[in-house]
Amino acid sequence: MQNLVSHEDWKSCFSEVAPGLLLFARQWVQSAADAEDVVQEAFVKFWRRNHKIENRALLYAAVRSIALDFIRRDSRRARREATAVRDTDEFSEPQFEFEDDTQRALAEAIDFLPCEQREVLVMKIWNELTFAEIAGALGISQNTAASRYRYALAALRNTLQPQ
Amino acid sequence: MNDLSQIEKELRKLRPARPSPILFERIEEAMIDCRAVASPAIKPERLRYNRLSLGFGLAAAAVLVLFAAVKMERQESGKEIAQTSREPEAAPLLNRAQKSTSTDKFVPAGATRLVYNTRDEGLQFASRSGQPLRRMRYQTHETWQWRNPTTGASLRVSYPSEEVVLIPVSGQ
Repeated sequence: MQNLVSHEDWKSCFSEVAPGLLLFARQWVQSAADAEDVVQEAFVKFWRRNHKIENRALLYAAVRSIALDFIRRDSRRARREATAVRDTDEFSEPQFEFEDDTQRALAEAIDFLPCEQREVLVMKIWNELTFAEIAGALGISQNTAASRYRYALAALRNTLQPQ
Repeated sequence: MNDLSQIEKELRKLRPARPSPILFERIEEAMIDCRAVASPAIKPERLRYNRLSLGFGLAAAAVLVLFAAVKMERQESGKEIAQTSREPEAAPLLNRAQKSTSTDKFVPAGATRLVYNTRDEGLQFASRSGQPLRRMRYQTHETWQWRNPTTGASLRVSYPSEEVVLIPVSGQ
């Protein structure tokens, strides 16, 4: 087991988890910059508390908690930004690196998933957390985590291949 | 993409956006800040201890001032110099002053108690109680003043004093 505090090259650890963490944080915050703020705070907090890097569920729980605090703290600004984005239909920073239109459509479909399904999907697909870890991070049962995941996949399938 | 494993496979091909290089720099700075704060392990303890001592010192000084004020008030209500018998040093001086100036009584005109040194002598346990007590030693300089309203003569007595106060410490 590798301890993050004793790990000199924290950058390599962070490089591995950062894309997934940012994607996870983007669920609650509008901009990539805000997501980076949230991830930075969570990661540094995690590091300071001497947690093991393998304990990704805890890292995700920290990101989630800080993101929710961020929303509460900055709800007025977030609402204003959300309105501005809706009104002007401005270009929003992509959450994924697309290779083709199918991937673009898939990424857009993910944005329309309900929040509780999207967070499970992000943790499962892009961070390879087990359902037990996801359940621990979100404070739900493993069965609930698994069913949310299946619902998310089904919703994406239906969106991309309408009946 | 008819079944769920197919969509799962498609999702795995999708790569999340990379974090900006600035984020790495920011985290690195935050890590350095953390280390700078965390490395002198004894320092925060010492700081806390000093703050605690300062807090106790200020609280005790406030109590002493309050005590002096209450005592002064009592003296004023009695208007009898003999009531300041707690300070035996003051009595002979007072009697001398009374004899030398007037038959009228002197009345208290002021009292100050300056705490010029506070020393924390650590924790101790009282014989019957399990609760720890913090032993604080205060070195003060007290000044008492009396005035004869008839003649306008005044008398001032100053002397150093030392007091040990035991403050109960509650555990957290």
